[in-house]
Amino acid sequence: MAKEESEESNEKLLQDISRTLSSLENSKRISRLVNEAIDRKIPITEIIEKGLRSGIERVGTLYEKGEYFLSELLFSSSLMNESMELLIPHLKGEKSQKEGKIVLGTVRGDIHDIGKNIFKMFAQSSGFEVYDLGVDVEPAMFIEKLNNTRAEILGLSALLTTTSYEMKTVIDTLTQEGIRNKVKVLIGGNAVNKEFAEEVGADAAARDAVDGVELCKRWVKRDDDS
Amino acid sequence: MMTPRERVKAVIDFKKPDVLPWIESFFDETLVKWFREGLPADKVTVIEWVITSGGLTLLNWPAVLGFDPYSYFGCQNMHGCCAPLDVGPIPRFKRRVIGESERYVDLITETGAIVRRLKRGDYKWYNMPMFLNFPVKDKKTWEEYRKRLNPEDPRRYPKDWDKDAYVEVFDNYQAGITVLAFTGFYGFGAQLMGIENFNILYYKDRELLQDMVKHWEYFTIETIRDMTETLKDKVDMVYLWEDMADKHGPCISPKIFKEVFLPHYKNVTSFLKKNKIDRVLVDCDGNISPILDLFAEAGITGLWPLEVNSGMNAIDLKKKYGSKFFLIGNLDKRALAKGGEAMKQEIDSKVPILKELGGYIPGVDHLVHVEFTYEKFKEYSEYLKKQLS
Repeated sequence: MAKEESEESNEKLLQDISRTLSSLENSKRISRLVNEAIDRKIPITEIIEKGLRSGIERVGTLYEKGEYFLSELLFSSSLMNESMELLIPHLKGEKSQKEGKIVLGTVRGDIHDIGKNIFKMFAQSSGFEVYDLGVDVEPAMFIEKLNNTRAEILGLSALLTTTSYEMKTVIDTLTQEGIRNKVKVLIGGNAVNKEFAEEVGADAAARDAVDGVELCKRWVKRDDDS
Repeated sequence: MMTPRERVKAVIDFKKPDVLPWIESFFDETLVKWFREGLPADKVTVIEWVITSGGLTLLNWPAVLGFDPYSYFGCQNMHGCCAPLDVGPIPRFKRRVIGESERYVDLITETGAIVRRLKRGDYKWYNMPMFLNFPVKDKKTWEEYRKRLNPEDPRRYPKDWDKDAYVEVFDNYQAGITVLAFTGFYGFGAQLMGIENFNILYYKDRELLQDMVKHWEYFTIETIRDMTETLKDKVDMVYLWEDMADKHGPCISPKIFKEVFLPHYKNVTSFLKKNKIDRVLVDCDGNISPILDLFAEAGITGLWPLEVNSGMNAIDLKKKYGSKFFLIGNLDKRALAKGGEAMKQEIDSKVPILKELGGYIPGVDHLVHVEFTYEKFKEYSEYLKKQLS
């Protein structure tokens, strides 16, 4: 009975963490709740999955519904990062379940990074391992990182129409190197849309960071299922 | 026959002009590219007799002041005759290179940000720089920066600020509209702190956010006060730079806008109204639909550029908001740059309807960008002009 009560109470605490994160309450409260969960010896992976990531998922839903905006997306990711800093020293042997791996970068000739960074924050908060190559990235660097990490997804960012065509160069290089069918290619940026994705041979164009992460989740899930 | 200024004034006052005006803004780098493609430089280069900087102060000498593609193509410049106020930081930060590699140059800008730029490439100025650091990070750095935003600094007004002479100039100008331009509350904060940091300030340090926007209201009103009270309705339109949206929607929620920004907007627009200036245009890229009711409440009366790629549709806005907003732009840059049927279809599907609805001035849904070839822009301009009269 006592064990059941304790499990129920832990479950409530995780829900509280999730709710606190998604309702964007201040960072002190979420830190207190996360520390309480650590003290109660709730497995760290559970705190991450059922508490934090569940909260981030709710933020994504509210963003897509138009109730939350960029401010809320960014602040929730910063709360997530602060909470992860509390949890990481306790992870020890436990392995946080990763959604998947993404190699990310802004293409050669373009040094714009705001959209890429927002996507990165939200993807990491949602459980993806992100290898950010930065800006003005040569096609060969994407290939090398994909080969080294065996990432399932390549995220390409560009602000301008002029530099967006560099995405095609990267995708063509994937084909030449014989790895195009091993990775899904997601593109993002002001000038890209569904038609452009088709034109350059990408798998999809992200409308925004949340849409992009949702696409990545679907791809990784499908890979797991198959 | 109406003058170009009268035409624009008629449209933004929801009256019928004799000929619908057409407004564009060009990236300078687009023009440089067009020179290579056949745009005759002698037709658009502005050369004036001036006292050249660093030259002999008692000698006028002809110097290139820039380009005027507007008269050449038959469109108008958004800024027409602009009130020469300095609404930036004074003193400016000394612009200087702080690092350099084969591919990049890092420099401090005049607003105090540190940016990285590509050294080579076809369009190195057209590409936004990468921001490495911003001058305002917290209360302490804001207090330091605030000293540069002193509205009383006499350098904010031109050396030749002579009220009667300026009234006469603004009264007589007919080549386009007269404009008073400054930065909005979000634009100011994002410039000083960066988009990411300024966006979460509401949650991280609301007191600092309130203090910053309060100061910006004070700074704006006091800086423009003398100019506004002198020129009054000789200013046809206020132009407010306020890039606060992306494709998804506004970067800040309507709730934050209402709570933090709206009261300050109202104070600024009330001050303008008291001085008989009631046409206030916001320059905001991206999808601004969720925030338009609040813009109207804030005293905003005009919108540009209405980016099609972000889902903005001038016809829908006209139907929903009627004469609450005059609209400029909304012709899809991607379709226009393609030329031919795609360009014609874009114009035909919008311009005749919007011309009938009124309060609309056609133009590209942002600055004319480098993807436009000179030939395609000429084709677009010739086709559009046929639809205007």
